[in-house]
Amino acid sequence: MASDSSLSAGLSELMVLRLLQDQEMYGYEIVQAIAARTRQVLTPGEGVIYPLLHALEKDGALKSRRKTVAGRSRIYYSLNARGVKKLAAMTDHWDALTGAVGAVLHAV
Amino acid sequence: MRFEALRETLLKGGVAPRHVRRYVGELSEHLDDLVKQQQALGYDGEDATLRARALLGEDRELAAAMLEQKRFRSLPARAPWLFFGLLPPVVGIAAGFLLIGSLALTAHLRGMTTPGHINAPEWFRTLTFAVTGLGNVALAPLLAATFVFLATRQRIIWLWPLLAILLLVLMDLHFQAHFPAPGQRGGSLGLGAVTWVLHPQSWAETWRLSLARLLLTCLPAFWLFRNRMIVS
Repeated sequence: MASDSSLSAGLSELMVLRLLQDQEMYGYEIVQAIAARTRQVLTPGEGVIYPLLHALEKDGALKSRRKTVAGRSRIYYSLNARGVKKLAAMTDHWDALTGAVGAVLHAV
Repeated sequence: MRFEALRETLLKGGVAPRHVRRYVGELSEHLDDLVKQQQALGYDGEDATLRARALLGEDRELAAAMLEQKRFRSLPARAPWLFFGLLPPVVGIAAGFLLIGSLALTAHLRGMTTPGHINAPEWFRTLTFAVTGLGNVALAPLLAATFVFLATRQRIIWLWPLLAILLLVLMDLHFQAHFPAPGQRGGSLGLGAVTWVLHPQSWAETWRLSLARLLLTCLPAFWLFRNRMIVS
């Protein structure tokens, strides 16, 4: 069974991939987007998002580029083909998992 | 400098300098965004900075998140025996072959060689003696300095760069060039190593150069100890 930390790491990974599917974002934007979309239920440690992003990039799921917007230079991340596949696989796994847990929790 | 303690923790933990640099850079940018966010919420000055820093996370958490990713560790941290124990002789020999190979190739392309003979003009002799002379004095010390620099940059325990220096000293890598006198046949370009073991009598002829090379090769280690820049 997955430990709490690996479960939350997996969740963060899933959410990051899903957010980057729509548009390229930088770290701060990603953290704000997760907090906003989960209505502050999930608030990942702000700084610890970067090792996750770097790991996903090393895995080939993300690519990054430095971009200057409004005078601020930042590293933007976006999904690539391997990331799309990984997101699909993780989403399927998550759906199966939530379905299974729901079946237990709501069983009469 | 921002995040100096975190940077040190990560380097000592074996994270590659390029990953540390990028992580710290992104954290700095993130902190700037958080400060602006807090200022927009009505906090100002020191208050906004303190709140932003707390939101970013404690150094302990930030370091742990990076350290648990083993793949960000540098090769010298992951396999110091390979980096400092195997690479110095390999790089030394490769550099030696490159240097001697370049000279030999030049001689060949310029038509100076026939089987068993080098018919080298004066400029090539001068060039060869200059290159091999410089190589004899500078190659091993340069390699020693490079390994010491890399170890310092990555906060590697001092024993490893010392091993690299020891190996370079024991190898005693040196170049040899011999050109025949006018009208005679022969000549050679060569790379020598550990001749103090294989031909101890030759050391008697070249001990001054060998001693100079030995001292220069050991210089980075003395410098390290003097400046207390090595991690114990």
